[in-house]
Amino acid sequence: MIRLENVTKNYSAEVVALNDASFDIAKGEFVFLVGPSGSGKSTLLRLLNRQERPQRGAVWVAGRNIIDMPPSRVPHLRRNIGNIFQDYKLLLNKTVFENVAFAQEVIGKPKHVIRQQVPAVLDLVGLAGKEERFPHQLSGGEQQRVSVARAFVNRPLILLADEPTGNLDPGTGEGIMRLLDRINKTGTTVVMATHDQRIVNTMRKRVIQLDRGVIVRDQARGVYE
Amino acid sequence: MLSRLTYTLRETWASFQRNVTLTAAAIITAAVSLLIFGLTLLIQHGFDNLLKRWEGGVEMLVFVVPQAEQDTIDYVAGVLDQQRGTAIERYEYCDVQCSLDEARVVLAGDPTTLNLLNENNIPTLFKVVPTEAAEVDVLRGLRDTYASLPQVETVVLAEDQIDLIARLQGFVSTYTTGLWIALMFASGLLIWNTIRTAMFARRREIEVMKLVGATDWFIRIPFMLEGLIQGLLGGVIAVGSLQFINWRWTQGVQDFPESSGMTALVVTDGYNWTVSFFILAFGALVGMIGSGIAASKFLDV
Repeated sequence: MIRLENVTKNYSAEVVALNDASFDIAKGEFVFLVGPSGSGKSTLLRLLNRQERPQRGAVWVAGRNIIDMPPSRVPHLRRNIGNIFQDYKLLLNKTVFENVAFAQEVIGKPKHVIRQQVPAVLDLVGLAGKEERFPHQLSGGEQQRVSVARAFVNRPLILLADEPTGNLDPGTGEGIMRLLDRINKTGTTVVMATHDQRIVNTMRKRVIQLDRGVIVRDQARGVYE
Repeated sequence: MLSRLTYTLRETWASFQRNVTLTAAAIITAAVSLLIFGLTLLIQHGFDNLLKRWEGGVEMLVFVVPQAEQDTIDYVAGVLDQQRGTAIERYEYCDVQCSLDEARVVLAGDPTTLNLLNENNIPTLFKVVPTEAAEVDVLRGLRDTYASLPQVETVVLAEDQIDLIARLQGFVSTYTTGLWIALMFASGLLIWNTIRTAMFARRREIEVMKLVGATDWFIRIPFMLEGLIQGLLGGVIAVGSLQFINWRWTQGVQDFPESSGMTALVVTDGYNWTVSFFILAFGALVGMIGSGIAASKFLDV
């Protein structure tokens, strides 16, 4: 599903975000990216949805090298990738329903499909009955659930999560992880950058560890260390 | 398709409401510059009417009495022919129909006099272009000569008044054109700034849209539509003002004495509607270009 071949990404001569990184992620895998701040985890996620382009190497997503993909095709790539962020990135002037529907609306899904799929996904993330609330009327965990619903509503092949539990208390974070695990079990590949030692150690999924842009460990059913 | 259209219209309307003051400033600037653009064209057209008889270097009009016989006309033409190549470079005869057509332009602002003219009482005329070397004294001499010919009603020279009007036309055209170009540029920049502000206000929304796979055009179109509407609204205000000013001026000119020469300085032939169309098209174009450039430039918010 995802393959990185000798990828190097520099922001300047001194700042090397990724250095000759290579790995494969199979369809349906759940992978943790771990490492200290500035180790290149977020850059790696940004490379996977073509927000960034590397100086060297190839990034394959769903069988296609996305580095030389024409800009007009990038939106189509992104329709197969869901994104979850530490700060949720919800639209504060829209309700829960509208936030999730927005992801379908902007890619031209018909209204009747939106009316059918949004409640279903809100039910999946445990937000049934809160469709008309605005983000400020929700707890942090609920806001992150809306973010997960928005990322998953188009049934993407890949879900990229950048520190999704970073702003949440441990109990709420566990709830989000259960949700991501459930989504992963539907066949969606999940790649999650995290600092949360407890979660990584509990989940016992594949762990790719980065240090100053270099992959220093790639371990199946790994722990944080 | 319908949902996209609904989305585009909804977002455009929301953006309008979000930026009311800036949007109003952009619309007013566009309206003022488009109004000056329209007025420039109308004034230019009015001057063209005023100088219609004097186009092509004509410096002298020899009016022949109404219903003159062909022999008389041939005789006057013969006299003019004799001086061709010396004092006269060329001349042109304007028959009854030509004279009536010209009267409709020259007396457009004086419908009372215009209504009194018909095929039986309108004088025909010769339009005379003197040689370059012909001086004022020579022209005056020719005028006296032609005025004494039988069946010649009167002879009119362009002299200083026409030269003054021609110079005034050049002056007004140059400066009003410069003014509307500068103002149009300013309104384009204002629209550009409005869109930039709107995009900045919605940067998080745009970021989310891009991440979930919205195309750049999908994101751009509501902003471009907003710019287009701003330009178009400016155009509508300008057209309304232009028509009002033109109507008031045309009404006012009727009170001027015929000898003032201002009766031709009006636009009554429908040209004001052609100009109105150009104002709307031009307003929409400037709005769309300004917003299109901004929407493309600031898409990576």
